[in-house]
Amino acid sequence: MIRAAELTKVFKDKKRGEIKAVDRVSFVCEPGVIYGLLGPNGAGKTTTLRLLSTALRPTSGTAFIDGVDVTKDPQAARRRIGFLSGTTGLYGRLSPVEMVRYFGRLYGMSGDAIAERTNKLFDLLDMHDFSHARNEKLSGGMKQKVSIARSVVHDPPIMVFDEPTTGLDVMSSRTIVQFIRRCADEGKTVIFSTHIMSEAVRLCDKVGIIHNGRLYVEGTVPDILTRTGRDNLEDAFINIVGE
Amino acid sequence: MQLSNVVTIFRKELTDTLRDRRTLMFMLLIPMAAIPLLTVGLSSLMVSQIQKVQKATSRIAIQGKEFLPDTLRQMFSDAPGLAEVSDDSLAGKDLVEEVRLGNLDLAVMIPSNFGAELEQERLSIIELYYDEAEMKSEFAEHKVREVLSDFRDAIVGRRLVGRGLTTGLLSPFDVSSHNVAPLQKMMGKEFGTILPYLIIIMCFMGAMYPAIDLAAGEKERGTLETLLVSPATRGEFVIGKYGVVLLTGVVAAFLSLGSLVFSLNYLVEDLLQNLTKTLAIEFDLQTIVLVFLIILPLAGIFAGVLLSVSIFARSFKEAQSYVTALNFAIILPAFVSFLPGVEIGYQTALIPVVNASLIIKDAISGSIEWRFVAVALVSNTILAGLALLFSRKWFERESVLFRM
Repeated sequence: MIRAAELTKVFKDKKRGEIKAVDRVSFVCEPGVIYGLLGPNGAGKTTTLRLLSTALRPTSGTAFIDGVDVTKDPQAARRRIGFLSGTTGLYGRLSPVEMVRYFGRLYGMSGDAIAERTNKLFDLLDMHDFSHARNEKLSGGMKQKVSIARSVVHDPPIMVFDEPTTGLDVMSSRTIVQFIRRCADEGKTVIFSTHIMSEAVRLCDKVGIIHNGRLYVEGTVPDILTRTGRDNLEDAFINIVGE
Repeated sequence: MQLSNVVTIFRKELTDTLRDRRTLMFMLLIPMAAIPLLTVGLSSLMVSQIQKVQKATSRIAIQGKEFLPDTLRQMFSDAPGLAEVSDDSLAGKDLVEEVRLGNLDLAVMIPSNFGAELEQERLSIIELYYDEAEMKSEFAEHKVREVLSDFRDAIVGRRLVGRGLTTGLLSPFDVSSHNVAPLQKMMGKEFGTILPYLIIIMCFMGAMYPAIDLAAGEKERGTLETLLVSPATRGEFVIGKYGVVLLTGVVAAFLSLGSLVFSLNYLVEDLLQNLTKTLAIEFDLQTIVLVFLIILPLAGIFAGVLLSVSIFARSFKEAQSYVTALNFAIILPAFVSFLPGVEIGYQTALIPVVNASLIIKDAISGSIEWRFVAVALVSNTILAGLALLFSRKWFERESVLFRM
């Protein structure tokens, strides 16, 4: 479970002064449910997810990852999170096996546990054919599978996806979407961000609309449509943020 | 800080780095191929240039040849390596100008009263015009001077004998100097100054690409964020990466040293027959240990600074341009080994790069002053530690990691 409590992040910019990228954002994501953060570019989605995954420290407020406070024990929080974004890359000169092993070790797993987990993941994602090739030689879809395997090597209860399909071709994108579904089916807590309305409608059990760093509305898609009296999410979004 | 994490990171980065062609080129190929080529090329070029000049005939012209006594005129035409340019080709030309233009190596001006003054035992002056900036011209001056001084000695001898005296009156004793291969000495000096410079530059270049790849490369590939959200701390990442960069720097420096010594001993030696025995470069164990001791903390400084610059950069390309600028900041102080008169002292021992350059130069010529070595080691080690702390600080700064 993820619980964000008044999560706030302020950046200092020489030209523009202080920018509130995330402004007192609170929400709860339950296990087995896909929670989508929906908003345009620059709304604060990525920053929110970076705060959850402890890549950034909140200016104020905090978040709890399965009850662990990210500001008090980031290390423990990190062990419970798997992170994947559309821009996440691979080490080109390593093979998928080496890549997964490296991250397994960073997450403190034993050699045996890594080998077992790797085997299972490579079965699941059908990766055995290219498991020893260099990552740089792989196709887009194969690379995406390596990224997925890397993100779940430690079998985390919580998955954070930051614009996971951005810049991907149809096939790679499909792989990711299926993977997100499976994570929720397995009972993991899943949060993901997107600026594509249709993706949110297709995938999310619950949606949070974020704009200018603030969380405007939360709920299921039908719920939001009813509340705004619109028949599609795009109109509802415009109606909510008032532009 | 967990050692197992640092080891995991170090091993992964080392594997990754050793598979990088650019790194291998700077770390292995340049020291092992380019340095021998450079050394041999440079030596043979120097040798052939000097030999050519020494063997070459000097082109001279004598103005007022008709005033020369017959004996002297004969001596000029008998002298080896001197050739008079025919009068016809110089007719109506200013000889001094011809020397300046390089058409002549030297012009001799004989005064019209030379013969008469000689008869009356009065002083007259023969003027030589040459171009000291030209080696050929300089050699011509030596040769002509030798002819003239032989002639002068003969006259003095005749005059003394005429007065019933012996030449022993003017020369109570003679000095005979023997030239012990000035060429070899020259090359010894050249390599003694070029070696510290090469070692330092190669150390920097060896560390350069790994540093760019291990920090800016993480941003470029989009792998940085995955590291930041892993349980390993940022400090552990910095130390693991620092270790690999330091190692490549030291390896590159030692490969260049080894390759240079090899080329001098086996390649250049053949070229110059036993040259290396008189080259004042000696590599005993002490020298090698000393070079290692001095290079290690220096590589540490390079690693810390390079990693800091590299993590600050938004992309691989940006890091490259910073590092190119940094390269100049290393080349200039490393260059002090070329400067005559700059010696190691308490002040120079405190300046990184400069201290290493001077100490390696001293070590090669066998005159090590241990107190300065100690100062330099302490100074460089402290700076290497500070550079590591600084790069760690930057790896922890959000505004550096996620620079927009």
